[in-house]
Amino acid sequence: MIYKSALVFGFNEYAKQIALQISGEYPSFAVFVMTEAEKTFARLAGFEAELFDLSEDWKSIEERFNINELIVFCALDNDAENVFLTISLRATFENLPIIALAGDHESAEKMKSAGANKVMPILQITAGIISEMLEKPTVTEVLHDIFYEDSKLKIAQITVSKGSFVVGKHLHDIDWGNEYDVLVLAIVDFQLGATFSFTSRGHNHHIDPDDILVVIGYEDKIAAFSKAMEVSV
Amino acid sequence: MFSQWMVGIAFFLHASPRYRHAKKFFYNLLENPAYPYKRFFDYTMMVLIVISVYILILHVKHEVSPKWIFFNNYVVSFIFFIEYMLRLWVYSDTSKIVIEQYEHDVFIQRPFNYFNALRTIFKNKLTFVTSTSSIIDMLAIMPFFHEFRILRVFILFRVFKLFRYSRSLSQLVSILSSKKFEIFTLGIFAAVIILVSSVLIYVMEAHNPESKINTLFDALYWSVVTIFTVGYGDFVPVTDEGRIVAMAIIIAGIAVISFATSIVVSAFTEKLDQIKEEKLIDDVGKIDQFYLICGYSPLAAEVARQFIRHGNKIVILELDKEKVQQAHKDGFTALAYDSGSLHSYQAIKIDIPSQAKAVILLRESDVLNVYTALTIRELSKKVPLLSILHQDENRRKLSFAGINEIVYTQELIGLISKEVSGRPVAFEVIHALRSENSGVFIEEIGLDATMAERFFEIAKLPLFHKRLIVLGIYKTSDRKFLFNPSTDLIIKEGDVAIVIATRSLIDEFQTLMYQKGKR
Repeated sequence: MIYKSALVFGFNEYAKQIALQISGEYPSFAVFVMTEAEKTFARLAGFEAELFDLSEDWKSIEERFNINELIVFCALDNDAENVFLTISLRATFENLPIIALAGDHESAEKMKSAGANKVMPILQITAGIISEMLEKPTVTEVLHDIFYEDSKLKIAQITVSKGSFVVGKHLHDIDWGNEYDVLVLAIVDFQLGATFSFTSRGHNHHIDPDDILVVIGYEDKIAAFSKAMEVSV
Repeated sequence: MFSQWMVGIAFFLHASPRYRHAKKFFYNLLENPAYPYKRFFDYTMMVLIVISVYILILHVKHEVSPKWIFFNNYVVSFIFFIEYMLRLWVYSDTSKIVIEQYEHDVFIQRPFNYFNALRTIFKNKLTFVTSTSSIIDMLAIMPFFHEFRILRVFILFRVFKLFRYSRSLSQLVSILSSKKFEIFTLGIFAAVIILVSSVLIYVMEAHNPESKINTLFDALYWSVVTIFTVGYGDFVPVTDEGRIVAMAIIIAGIAVISFATSIVVSAFTEKLDQIKEEKLIDDVGKIDQFYLICGYSPLAAEVARQFIRHGNKIVILELDKEKVQQAHKDGFTALAYDSGSLHSYQAIKIDIPSQAKAVILLRESDVLNVYTALTIRELSKKVPLLSILHQDENRRKLSFAGINEIVYTQELIGLISKEVSGRPVAFEVIHALRSENSGVFIEEIGLDATMAERFFEIAKLPLFHKRLIVLGIYKTSDRKFLFNPSTDLIIKEGDVAIVIATRSLIDEFQTLMYQKGKR
């Protein structure tokens, strides 16, 4: 699913960074804030913000965005308010993708219970990054380059098309590295469930249409690989 | 002439690296509890003392081999003598005293007064010689000088030397010495009661033919065993007057014992925190490598947990005592010291260059983190420094302070959000690899010469071929990452391989490379 609109709730330092990173990725983007102070802060950062309160019936969102193409980020300052926002959004929009920030694991569990699709516990993420930077500096550097820097090495998720030549084959039948110069890290095998499985686990998955392959490779090689994947048997 | 010779030698010694190194080595061995080899030295000396006393006891009723007598009287004594001389040597820096006196005299334009320098040296050394521990050391050497039977008792002074080598015994003495005044008062009180009661009981009992208390010494002995509530019953008062004195002294005895107990208990209670802290400092001094976390917060607790989960050791420095207590409750090694003060590192005897794997600055503001970073940089230019960034506008200041890695959580969350929304599955995959909860790990393996040579040979084995993903090789020489390397790539010693696999497979891979290398 490719989303066309994104909405950030709240405008603290975290929300600001989220807005800065994602605003360019979506044709339609907005910031919804609870206070005038946040509105001013958002304006200073170059974003137009709209006021909302937690008792709102979300009509303004429905009027402004196509809910089926919208993704929201809940980044209010207060974890309790963020949980309340998440639960009220979920109560209204059953299929809306909600990504929420949480102070720690405890709040993260509450966000999940409230219906958030993805929760980012700030404390654990930061601690994880700190320990990884010191324990595995090379891994950190490489992954940072792949994800966040303007590196030619990319990670991509490629959906298997119906007529692709890989349909019907097993994951380990193909030597991806030698043939296409990409590495397949994981597969989302919808016949076995919607979650992904690591290639390294050793299970030889049967590739079906609509399965998703998570691959790492250079931009041009990934493009060539995607093209090759579309070739029919 | 003499003064020139004296100054010349002082400057020579002061500038000689070998001399300084030797003196530092012996100082550490004898006086520095944080020095890792000191405990071996202490154990050796303790064993010598035990042997010495054992020989003394054995010699009372049994024949002891002359070799052992020789060993006890000469070898052990000689070792103690050498130790005494070394302690005398390292106690003060003689060459420094001479140089300081010389420079002082030159500054005020007068001839070098070597007499003043000698006097200062003598005073310094005399302070050592007249200290209690030094006197015990000297007495312990006595059998070396004399073979008179009576002097053998000096061997027992070697037992007192145990105080030098056992920290617990030294602590006991220091705790009790903190109550010197109370103990002295108690002593006076007990002495007065003993004196008065001895005289009284003597006056009351000595004239009575049925009483066993006939001399003043009998009376003194009776008083002592009664006041300390021992009461053997070998001497008992027989007169009514004597019994009245006995009742009074028994009551006074209870007071003495209670007073003594309360002194000891209160001394231990007051010093308990200090004892615990000293023990903690000792323990920290013995850790070879640890991550030093400056500042304790929920984030610091989480970072500490992650390091410990990976088998690392951590030490936390936090000025706020309540936070330190919380850290202890959370199960971490924490000390209530200011991580931004050089004095703290001297007090807790942490050697940053050799002990700290990295220093993580998690204090509550960028100002404090910069201040701490500069303190750490004074102690070591090389230790890796990582700091949390609170305000983005302070990023450059943190870099200027010598911090190698800066973590700005807000920016991180922004970057992650972009990935989560754009490539959710890919993000989940990498997140699962990093969090290590899935059982599949992304690991970096530093390669030595033999591992580098065998790397592809092992990676091609059927066991690893499809289940161990070689993501790439990081060439340390040109700081370049080579993704999906072909098997003809030349890997060199020091390069780093990044692999993805289950833990057991990675372990097996490393073991096989190592074993193959050994063959």
